[in-house]
Amino acid sequence: MTDANTDVIQGTLDMLILKTLSLRPLHGFGIARRVEQISDGVFKMNPGSLLTALQRLERAGWLDSEWRQTENSRRAKFYTLTATGRKQLQVETADWKRRALAVARLLEMEG
Amino acid sequence: MSLWRELRYGFRGLRDRGAREQDVADEVEQYFEEAEAEWSARGLSPDEAKKAARREGGSTAAARERASEYGWENSVKVFMDDLRFAARQLRKHPAFTVTAVLTLALGIGANAAIFTVVERVLLAPLPYKNADRLALLKTYRSQLGRAIPRVTGPDAADVRDQSQRLEAVTLYGGGSLGVQLKDHAAYTVVTMADVNFARVFALRPIAGRLYTSADAKHAVMVSERFARDNFGGAQAAVGQMLGVEGDPAEIVGVFPAGFDYPNGTQVWLASPTAPEWNSRTGFNYKAVALLREDASFEGAQTELRTISQRLQAVYAKDNRGKEMMLQPLKEALTGDSRLTLMFLWAAAGLILLIACVNVMHLELVRSMERQRELAIRRALGSSRWRVMQPVFLESMLVALIGGAAGVLLAFPTVRVLVAMAPKELPRTSEIHLNVWVLGFALGLSVVTAVLSAMLPAIRAANVDPAEALKSDSSRGMTRHSAGLLRDGLVVAEVAATFVLAVGAGLLLRTMMTLNARDMGYETRQMLVVDADAPARKDLNAQRAVQQFNELFAQLEQMPGVERVAGVMGLPTGIYGSNGYYETRGGLPVDTDHPAWSNFSVASPGYFRTMGIPLKRGRDFGSEDTHESGMVAVISESLARQSFGDADAVGKQIRCGLDSDKWMTVVGVVGDVRQDSPAEKPGATLYMPMTQHPFYANQIHVVLRTAVKPLTLMSAVDERIARVDPLIARRYTTMDAMVDKSIATERFRAALISSFAGVGLLLAMLGVYGTVAYSVAQRRFEFGVRMAFGAERGTILRSVLGHAARMACVGIVIGVVLSVALARLVESMLVEVRPTDPVSLVLVSAVLMITALGAALGPGWRATQMSPMVALRAE
Repeated sequence: MTDANTDVIQGTLDMLILKTLSLRPLHGFGIARRVEQISDGVFKMNPGSLLTALQRLERAGWLDSEWRQTENSRRAKFYTLTATGRKQLQVETADWKRRALAVARLLEMEG
Repeated sequence: MSLWRELRYGFRGLRDRGAREQDVADEVEQYFEEAEAEWSARGLSPDEAKKAARREGGSTAAARERASEYGWENSVKVFMDDLRFAARQLRKHPAFTVTAVLTLALGIGANAAIFTVVERVLLAPLPYKNADRLALLKTYRSQLGRAIPRVTGPDAADVRDQSQRLEAVTLYGGGSLGVQLKDHAAYTVVTMADVNFARVFALRPIAGRLYTSADAKHAVMVSERFARDNFGGAQAAVGQMLGVEGDPAEIVGVFPAGFDYPNGTQVWLASPTAPEWNSRTGFNYKAVALLREDASFEGAQTELRTISQRLQAVYAKDNRGKEMMLQPLKEALTGDSRLTLMFLWAAAGLILLIACVNVMHLELVRSMERQRELAIRRALGSSRWRVMQPVFLESMLVALIGGAAGVLLAFPTVRVLVAMAPKELPRTSEIHLNVWVLGFALGLSVVTAVLSAMLPAIRAANVDPAEALKSDSSRGMTRHSAGLLRDGLVVAEVAATFVLAVGAGLLLRTMMTLNARDMGYETRQMLVVDADAPARKDLNAQRAVQQFNELFAQLEQMPGVERVAGVMGLPTGIYGSNGYYETRGGLPVDTDHPAWSNFSVASPGYFRTMGIPLKRGRDFGSEDTHESGMVAVISESLARQSFGDADAVGKQIRCGLDSDKWMTVVGVVGDVRQDSPAEKPGATLYMPMTQHPFYANQIHVVLRTAVKPLTLMSAVDERIARVDPLIARRYTTMDAMVDKSIATERFRAALISSFAGVGLLLAMLGVYGTVAYSVAQRRFEFGVRMAFGAERGTILRSVLGHAARMACVGIVIGVVLSVALARLVESMLVEVRPTDPVSLVLVSAVLMITALGAALGPGWRATQMSPMVALRAE
């Protein structure tokens, strides 16, 4: 599960989920909405892929899940970042930044 | 850590499949509810909110499917689903399933059972230390043109002393003897073995000590079982005395449990290291050698050849044409049973082949019924593998269930096999089902599954959707090749069954011949007592003869007893001797093939008791005493081979049994078959007990009875015990002894017959299946023909003709195969030629009747078909 970085889209998806959950526990739709809002609609998440990714991350030990009440008193599955998840987020963030920088430099060189 | 979580989540997912699916469904539903709630909050109506949520996130079903597909356990789940589907399919076709499973159970069960025996007897290493370094010493004799499994004492001693490549050689001999304990005597297998015996077999006593060369003749080792049975335990046995052949011996030690080499020995008597019998022409010993760890088998063999050549040079007269050789002990022990077991294994293999063909055939029919389903699957774009998979899975499932049932079947079968096994089959006590056998059965099941599914699966994969959908199988428009293939399989089955049945026929005819054979004496109403009197010294021996003669007179007085006699050398008995003899006044003798005969020592009245006809002269009588002139009675064969047409009575004869004095022939009696009904009647030289007292202490007492022989057993036993309780005795009947002498033949015949029976049953199923299927398929055609006025007889004939054609082709192939394979069984037959026309014709008839019988049911059904119903049945 650590080779997710090779696939840019998937890598991004994992990182975005981890980042979103680093602020506070959220349920699936909450994550999707938050990512959409913050990215100003650049990223939209498909529920199928999102829920699959959540299962993967949970199995990797980066998330814990729990069914509990939402603010509007509906039952929902909330995801929490674990300690290893937090570390993973740092790794992925650093990695992403390095790559983004490299891409940016390459693009600048042309300009 | 994460791998552990992977596995835990996966297994939990598999365990609570419902819960997990529910969890995913709930989560997806909740996701969409939240989305709708948000859209509503932005002011959309509930309906519009729903639509918006769908537009954004797609359908709930798609999301649910996507999310629940995640995880390694999912492929397991898919496989399980396929398996469940296959299982459901099998449940829906009980006739197919039960037939296929039973067929395979029979095939795999028979093979597992035979393999159990083969594995233990032929494959498993001997249960001795250094088992692979043990070898039996044999003597090749160019005069005989073969090797005998025995050695002479001095030759073996020379090998032992001169060989560099053999670590140790032990000489031994013995047999079933009376062993005298404190107050009774019991028949026991006693082996006289030298001190090297324990070294060769790497034995340590579990109590007491090993005997040494100083102990020769008066110390014994006993088996753990013997110690337990007679003294209560190994420690208790040490120091106890027992008598072997009348001589007292002390038990100095106990061998470990389970060791009973050779032939179930219970008592090992110390014999001197220097062989007692020191003639180089008397093959009185058996010898086992332990090869040195660094010596190769070939090396030892070469060395033995050198030693043999040296001995030939030194003892030119005695050792001419004599060469000693080694045979691995396992091979020596199991060699005789190899042929029988391999034969049975081949037969079992044939059964499995028939079973396989039958199942393949059943599956082929199944897959043809499924042709439409498979065609649609192909048309919808399933890959070839995806189409073949369910066929394979079904077949695998059937094979595994069949294999499991076969193993269950093998348990009782092995027990029956071991119970039936002739005593010549070595190592039967070691036989039991084990991991190897289970592995073998599993392997067979998988191979069977793959084999029987291969054709149907390939056919399934090659289905041309358009073609298959057009040719509706129930309209009699199947492609021609399909029918040919099925017919071919049935033909193969018939041919294989034919081979089995011919084998069974030949062996059964052999058995019938053996059972009906005139043994040369009357076997009915005859009680036989094996009696071993403790006598060795000359005086004792004479007293024993006298004692026996008195005993015979006493026994003759008992009600129900007609005649009584004693004999050493009873046909099929455990005591006996044979060898060369010379005559005075007989025909000239070929020095390379000196005259040979069985030797027998008998009491007066033996011939009348046995019902052996006296042809000329007289029987032994009270006038033939130890002191009077030596006399002999000879059998007709002996008279013919040595005296030709001349009258043998009055001629002189001598043999090396115990003295080289000339004996006068006083009578000629009929021939007997000495060892078994399979043998030719041969030459026998009878001598009176009184004149050969050394051979009169181990005898069979034969009682001709007027009642059922065994009913007299306890009365006779009481009488003998009153005369001398230390006479070891054992009871049987002549019928039982003769019966036992053909146990191997019966074992083979019984097994191959049951195999042939199973084969016949399977072939019948095969014919029935294919005919019934083609009748069902041709319903439409029959309907049309009947509508146009065809006779019922014509229809029936066409169905039976189909079966008969298949059977005919199968029989012709079977005949060719049988004739080709017949050589292999030739050595097992008596008075029946391997190409016995009676067997061939009989078996052909049985197979033809079987095939027609199997076709009769479906044929009759075809004629009962109402044209209207048939035409409507679409």
